[in-house]
Amino acid sequence: MSVLTTKASRSAHGSRTRGERRSTLLRSGLLGIVLLWCLAPFVWLITTSLKQGDRALNSPDLLQGPFGLQNYIAVFQQDFGLNLRNTLAIASITTLLCTGVAALAAYALAKLPLRRKTLLLGGVLAASLFPPVALVPPLYEMWRTAGLLNTWEGLYISYLSFSLPLAIFILTTFFSAIPSELVEAAKTDGASAFQAFWRIVLPLAAPGVFSSAIITFVTAANEFLLASTFAPRNPEVAQTVPVAIASFTGAIEFQRPIGTITAASVVVTVPMIVLALVFQRRIVAGLTAGAVKG
Amino acid sequence: MTPSLAVMALVVLFPVLYAVYTSFQAYTRRQHEGFAGLANYQEVLGDSYFWDALWFTAVFTVTSVGAEFVIGLGFALIMNQGFRGRGVTRASILIPWVIPTVVAAQMWAFMFNVTPGFINSLFGLGDFNWLGQSGWATFAVVFADVWKTAPFAALLLLAGLQTIPAELYESARVDGAGPLQRFWHVTLPLLRPAILVALLFRTVEALRVYDLPQVMTGGAFGTESLSMAVRRYIVETPDPGLGSALSTLTFLIVLGVGVVFVSMIGKSVISEGSEER
Repeated sequence: MSVLTTKASRSAHGSRTRGERRSTLLRSGLLGIVLLWCLAPFVWLITTSLKQGDRALNSPDLLQGPFGLQNYIAVFQQDFGLNLRNTLAIASITTLLCTGVAALAAYALAKLPLRRKTLLLGGVLAASLFPPVALVPPLYEMWRTAGLLNTWEGLYISYLSFSLPLAIFILTTFFSAIPSELVEAAKTDGASAFQAFWRIVLPLAAPGVFSSAIITFVTAANEFLLASTFAPRNPEVAQTVPVAIASFTGAIEFQRPIGTITAASVVVTVPMIVLALVFQRRIVAGLTAGAVKG
Repeated sequence: MTPSLAVMALVVLFPVLYAVYTSFQAYTRRQHEGFAGLANYQEVLGDSYFWDALWFTAVFTVTSVGAEFVIGLGFALIMNQGFRGRGVTRASILIPWVIPTVVAAQMWAFMFNVTPGFINSLFGLGDFNWLGQSGWATFAVVFADVWKTAPFAALLLLAGLQTIPAELYESARVDGAGPLQRFWHVTLPLLRPAILVALLFRTVEALRVYDLPQVMTGGAFGTESLSMAVRRYIVETPDPGLGSALSTLTFLIVLGVGVVFVSMIGKSVISEGSEER
């Protein structure tokens, strides 16, 4: 292998051989398969949500009409707007709290003279491996005693527990990339540790902060285990979208209302997809920041 | 900065300690009855319920992480080639990741269903009942999971692939290595850290699986995971002691697997460093 790692060849001009050009066709075919795999089920979801009437909904044929927006109207007659409000509020509060605390912790880990940094960061990584279900027994008992079951607080406080480790980990890798000389210079100019953080580090690491915030938001908005345990019912109070989608029931018992469920699914998925497409680069950067450095 | 470190300690340590403490207590209908010793653990370990959940979780983890890894690596290799529309592909590969798991689960449950039976009609399988028999129910759940997370594995692996310098492939080519040899002797060894990280994240995630089987089958036909079993003990059969014993066991399993992976990652980073320097 050491033969391979020596830089024997300097002829890498990036010019393509004939064989590579020929395989472009093959490559586009493979690419098509990737896209089909990722997107086809979503196409099914959208067409099904637009179908109307029992016959259309119970037909496996994608193009069996009649089509219309009736399912979407039905969704919003079922308090789904309240579910959306709960999810938006809980995910936003989680994101704000988590990003704030994680940024401070990550700054301490990346830039302040602390002992046993590796151990601490290792501990943070270990905490992100923590099974959320281990949180369920202690938190359920505590929330029951404190009266936090079926409240926003009960959800976003517990979401902090599992979103913090990953956010701290991502932010630490971003903060470490900022040259320490900048922080030192600010300090010699008389800035406190916090001022150096607020004026220098945070603005420079803004893309990383942003990507960690998006990942936190997406995770919190999609969470199901804790949400269905701590706030299973009642959209007026704290029931979130995933719980609502999982528990939609039909007019007739045992019949799952495929039309309403698919329509509700499209309603929540489209904003997520828009978010993913707009911030694609940042999400990918945030996701891979820790991994690449391995 | 001490407060944030305190928060971390609280987040990491407190729930585990509390769960461990609770697991040694006896309860009847949620009323605390005092110290129970190992009785809760004895009951959990003596219950076939636990072993069934453990078996499903193990099968789910091995098959879905394996399939995700192979498919994800394939995706990553395709996307690592220079071509037009790579941004679009990378963006659309994020879509399964951002779709809420509950939505993905509902979607696949409907598609695997007998009526309307989209998959059955697509492949001409008639009334084949995917979700209504053990074995195939597990397959359907694993399939849905692979669909949702293979793209994510692909992203992590792609990030790793992009750190491999192009000169290495050039020189391997000059030395007469074919595509397969280049993949085996250049790509795989250098991708090792990224592979381990991707496998670690995905394995741990798979061991904690809850949403997919809960929504697709509700745990019927041998598809109840450890997380589903814990929640059942906590919410439906209100015995915090038993639930905590089960969640402590789940935690130990995840921790054990995590430690194995992390030590492998540590080793690979160290050995690489010593080669380079």
